[in-house]
Amino acid sequence: MTAERFLALIAAYGADARRWPVDERAAAEAFMAAQPEAARAALAEADAVDALLHASATPRVSMALRDRVIASASEAGLKARREGRRWLDRLALALGAGWAVAACAGVIAGVFMTSHFTADAQADAVLYQASLLGVDDTEVLG
Amino acid sequence: MALIADPDEDLVRRVGQGDSAAIQAMVARKLPRMLALAQRMLGDAVEAEDVAQEALLRAWKQAPRWQPGKAKFDTWLHRVGLNLCYDRLRRRREIATDMPPERPDEGAAPDRGLLAADVGRRVDAALARLPERQREAIVLCHYQELTNIEAAALMEVSVEALESLLSRGRRALRLALADMRPDAEGV
Repeated sequence: MTAERFLALIAAYGADARRWPVDERAAAEAFMAAQPEAARAALAEADAVDALLHASATPRVSMALRDRVIASASEAGLKARREGRRWLDRLALALGAGWAVAACAGVIAGVFMTSHFTADAQADAVLYQASLLGVDDTEVLG
Repeated sequence: MALIADPDEDLVRRVGQGDSAAIQAMVARKLPRMLALAQRMLGDAVEAEDVAQEALLRAWKQAPRWQPGKAKFDTWLHRVGLNLCYDRLRRRREIATDMPPERPDEGAAPDRGLLAADVGRRVDAALARLPERQREAIVLCHYQELTNIEAAALMEVSVEALESLLSRGRRALRLALADMRPDAEGV
């Protein structure tokens, strides 16, 4: 880096190396190390301006402004939704799905068991009918 | 075109989904920046609040359709904030009378101590008296800490032109506040 470019850099961005363009920072720091006398006066001058700039107080955000801005989010169409509530919704959905599965299983089991018990009952009825017929035949045949 | 890494990307996505925690985080992260930008560009606390609020309102509208990778959200928001400031500065010029508002240079006074608030007020007054573009360059680079490339792009000038504005602005401030330098006589 030339002395001319170094001075231009300091004049524009100030004495704080963190504010210098990234692609020139290393070269500028190398220049400072190599020619500290040439850099010193310009750095001191720039540092004084930096200090003055830092004296400007940063405005503070009032609670009223903060609240207005947050309220404006819903006015802008953003639906307020809480992250925690979303997990709650998912849990409720999972529980609901569980109940639905259990209910379906109950219905299927019910249908299966009903047909099973009905078959037994029908078999008993047939045997009972057969026994009745058997009694009748004995009576007829004497 | 290379995708641009954006530290706000995830937050913007969540804001677009209406996540209230993300909305609050966005306010905490960006509202002070917008307020500082507008305050230093306009030099008026009430107008600065209006601009900051309007900038965030536009952010809420933009968030659901934000396309990551094309630009940094912070740069886009600065563009919005700057445009709002330009509008107000233009309106001021249009309604300016033959007697422009006075911005007196308080100057050095022997009975004024070097309280931080005093120094700050004098610096703010000196900033306000800078030509608009010089002030904008200093606000974007020094206070908003944007890179020179981001600031130049926002101001629609080359990096060389930005550096020229910065140098002239800093030199003007140094001259305007010469009496406040530690080596100045009587300070």
